[in-house]
Amino acid sequence: MNDSRRAGLKPLRSLLPVLVILALIAAVPLFSPSNRFLSLAISAGINVIALYGLSVLFGQTGILSMGHAALVGIGAYAAAILARDFGVGFWLALPAAAIASAVFAMIVGIPSLRVGGHHFVIMTFAFGQLLAIVLTNGGDYTGAATGLDVTDHVTLFGADMTDLTRYYLMVVAFVTVAAVASWAIIHSSYGRTLRAIRENEKLAASLGINVGRHKIGAFVVSGVFAGISGVLLAYFLGHISPSQFSSFPSIYLALMVMIGGARLIEGPLAGGILVAFLPEVLNLDPVQSRIVYGVCLIAVIMLLPDGLIGGIVRALRGLFSGKPKSERDAAEARQ
Amino acid sequence: MSPILAISGLSKQFGGVTALAGVDLTIEEGEILGVVGPNGSGKTTLFNVVTGVHKPSGGTVLFRRRDITGLAPHAISRTGIGYTFQQAMAFAGLGVLENVQIASEHARATGGANPWPTPQALLDFVGLSALAGEKAGVLPFGSLRLLGLALALATRPSLLLLDEPAAGLNDRETTALVGLVRQLPGHGITVCVIDHDMKLMQMLCRRLAVLDFGSKIADGPTEAVLADPKVLDVYLGGEL
Amino acid sequence: MQQVSIAVDIFIQQILNGLSIASVITLIAIGVTLIFGLTGIINFAHGEFLMIGGIVTWLAVSAGVGFPIAVILSILAVGLMGYVLERGLFRFTLERPTNGFIVSLGLIVVLQHVVVLFWNPNQKSIPRPLTTVWEVGGVRIASVRVMVILITIAVVALSFRMITASRYGRALRASVEDRDTAALMGIPVRRYITGVFVLGSALAGLGGALLIALFPITPFTGGTMVMKGFAVALIGGLGNIYGAVAAGLILGIVEGFSAGYGFSQWTDAYSFVLMILVLVVRPHGLFGGTSGPRMAS
Repeated sequence: MNDSRRAGLKPLRSLLPVLVILALIAAVPLFSPSNRFLSLAISAGINVIALYGLSVLFGQTGILSMGHAALVGIGAYAAAILARDFGVGFWLALPAAAIASAVFAMIVGIPSLRVGGHHFVIMTFAFGQLLAIVLTNGGDYTGAATGLDVTDHVTLFGADMTDLTRYYLMVVAFVTVAAVASWAIIHSSYGRTLRAIRENEKLAASLGINVGRHKIGAFVVSGVFAGISGVLLAYFLGHISPSQFSSFPSIYLALMVMIGGARLIEGPLAGGILVAFLPEVLNLDPVQSRIVYGVCLIAVIMLLPDGLIGGIVRALRGLFSGKPKSERDAAEARQ
Repeated sequence: MSPILAISGLSKQFGGVTALAGVDLTIEEGEILGVVGPNGSGKTTLFNVVTGVHKPSGGTVLFRRRDITGLAPHAISRTGIGYTFQQAMAFAGLGVLENVQIASEHARATGGANPWPTPQALLDFVGLSALAGEKAGVLPFGSLRLLGLALALATRPSLLLLDEPAAGLNDRETTALVGLVRQLPGHGITVCVIDHDMKLMQMLCRRLAVLDFGSKIADGPTEAVLADPKVLDVYLGGEL
Repeated sequence: MQQVSIAVDIFIQQILNGLSIASVITLIAIGVTLIFGLTGIINFAHGEFLMIGGIVTWLAVSAGVGFPIAVILSILAVGLMGYVLERGLFRFTLERPTNGFIVSLGLIVVLQHVVVLFWNPNQKSIPRPLTTVWEVGGVRIASVRVMVILITIAVVALSFRMITASRYGRALRASVEDRDTAALMGIPVRRYITGVFVLGSALAGLGGALLIALFPITPFTGGTMVMKGFAVALIGGLGNIYGAVAAGLILGIVEGFSAGYGFSQWTDAYSFVLMILVLVVRPHGLFGGTSGPRMAS
């Protein structure tokens, strides 16, 4: 009894650092940051929400999607079209866009995962490019290459959330929900099932796990995160266009989750923030900063396969704990 | 009493090559059956077709009179057939206990007493409790085989198929494994072992079926089968 | 009667246009298919290899070098780049091909923006190396397109000969078929992997040089082209060079027609739609391929 209580508390401990960091982030407006800082932070936060979905897909299930920006785009366009044609506001657009992205993920996922393994990545990439082409050729309905405007304001309990500081706090709240949701998935039996598939599909199937269905399921779950991220993006920018959701933005999403580390709960947060603020900190222009991202990605994959955070955690544990190595590995394996 | 598994006329062709040529085989409730044959005799194909890895070219497989021919591997497992692979396998990146947890969370079998109600109890049974906190990937080979057995048992099968369960084990480990497998019928689990190791089969099985070139050439009590000139011919011509 | 002959003119011209684009795509696809077949690495940066081939040609021609020499420089430069990247990066990802793929994503970003950094993001073009336009019975044939097609046919034929007739080629095909067994037979698989990277890169360098002879290019040209290369490689069956050539022909002709008959805004979509359809119906491609080297798991 006592044992199982401790087992129940243990995963809670892994959530704590993230919650503390998010609380600190939520306190940033107290120091009257610049508008530029807030805008950057909001963009980073919107990415982080999608990254938490991607971490379920890649970190837990071991499937890499190169069309993830397309799922964000479905959410963003759903929000814009709902507002324009049906007068549907932000809060109703959230579930609607989440469903739209999830359905799109299923439509992409069923044929792509059927093809399997090596080809899945290329299929998602192709679907991403296709979506951009369809949006560009969609005429007035999708606003063609120029895209769509979203002029509605977000209100919460009568307060206009369009103000940068308020939008910032709202995004932090959404990031927190995404982090907790992803943590809950990781520590559920569902998360264990996904990890089993990541580790060995053949063995998983022999234990009665429907591998195909769970892989599509993980893709759909990641689609829900992406859809919500898309709505927040559309309302934040006020304008969306196809090129934001083609395959190259997808590469940047994959890059962020891998730089941060896809298997740890801190990874998406770290990746999103790092990629957004690195150019500011190092005072790089956009071209230079992209070169740095690319080099970082290659360096992380070659030197720190668990991502930056995973690497730091490993290094700290190695320095400060007297635990034998195998015990450490076992502890990591549970994460 | 009807057999727990009834295979009839099972055949499998790969391109022009016949791996199974109409095999009939029954497994009786509560026994430990051995399926032997030299390499290339169709043993592993038989295993793969029954467990759903390959679709058969013809014939049927009935499990408790239910037709399970050509079901997907996960669906076969859910009917109550557990199986372990020739290559010892576990979820290498996950903990030993978590491995068994995953398997037991997907157990579908119902009815009957559950001899190992918790993952921990299963680890006790196969003797891996001391290693529960380790990552499966760091286990020595012998322990990995036992973990594989625990995973298959965690699905609560009523029939367990073991494909070369002792391959790569030393004598001491083999004896331990034989001890475990012999207990299984007492827990309501019927066992079918597929192997070419005659010594192992003599320790485990009272009944043997012999495959050669995709056909069954003998089936009966172990002593009688081993005295069968046809079987001697196959084995003296090949390996023993 | 008049109308029919105009239709025939357009028809022939579109086939020619389609084939010249198909040539460049086929050159990428052969590299993609060989590298994947042998290493399991999906090298998405292959399109950037092509782009760099185009940039080298542009630099050389702008510096007053003749086009034929510029082509050779591109082939050498990109071949060398392939060698360096294989030895410096991809070699270390052979056990985990997914990492090789992720490294290639990083390379895409780096290579694109290094080119932007030094030579700005604008379009780059060279004067057409051949300006003659032949008029044959009302059909206008640009000699530069014919040149591209002929060079590609020659190079592809040469590669085929190398792969089918020589001892090295047979060893290479054996390695693509089954890397582990080939290694057991004493074939130096590692060296072949380097060789394939260099050959694939050199072909991409040639493709880039030919592409800039047809159209202006930008630092971002590689992205679309590599997708078409992958589409062709997958439609043909990964690891299957014959399949890649056949699929390249099909795609080039489909694209040529669509551009000529007023659906040009959808041109880029065909390769993706075709690829998705083919993979759903025949996961190993129209002409059958390997599923990559078997991995120790």
